[in-house]
Amino acid sequence: MEKKIVNNIRRLRFDADEMTQQMLADVVGVSRQTIVAIEKDKYSPSLEVAFKISEYFNVPLDTVFKYR
Amino acid sequence: MSYKERSIWVSLAITLYIWFNYFSELYWSVQQHTLTTSSMKSALLTVVIMTIALEILHHIVIAIIDNKNANYDEDERDKQISLIGNQNAYYILSFTAIAAVIHLLFPLMSQGLVDALSLPSEYAIINIIIFGALTAEITKFSTQIFYYRRGF
Repeated sequence: MEKKIVNNIRRLRFDADEMTQQMLADVVGVSRQTIVAIEKDKYSPSLEVAFKISEYFNVPLDTVFKYR
Repeated sequence: MSYKERSIWVSLAITLYIWFNYFSELYWSVQQHTLTTSSMKSALLTVVIMTIALEILHHIVIAIIDNKNANYDEDERDKQISLIGNQNAYYILSFTAIAAVIHLLFPLMSQGLVDALSLPSEYAIINIIIFGALTAEITKFSTQIFYYRRGF
């Protein structure tokens, strides 16, 4: 089976006082639709955006994204 | 639907509407044997003016409707989708350039088109290029919409 990048952003948002997708989008500098696409595993963000997300939630990168 | 995607849908609709009018006018002129150089020039001028006017109107209307995102800059996903659209459009434009060169080098191969248009050969080339550019534009918008809908 082909591997793909999956993520826990939805969970992390929920744990961060139910942060909205728009708030996260504003923090990392992308559109809300891009956050939606990332959460649904339909788009793999650049390393820069991936690091921004993990830095914002203050967790390691491999907690946010996994390759499996 | 994002601001960018909405904008692409409207641009696609404008492009289809304007060029459908142009080519249907060209078709009926050919059928009725009323196609002249000046009528083609005026049809092309109409296309240019309508494109500019409708695109300006489209941006104003979308900015009013979705004023919160009016100053929205493309993000990395928009840029990647745009790149794929441009890449597909480039293939079509390259093919068009080859078709125009073939038409110039081997006019016999496209004699049927020249006869049908009953215009000087250079106007046949103009229409080949216009048709190719239009197909490229439609391909670009369609590719972008496809990736926005399917996800990328």
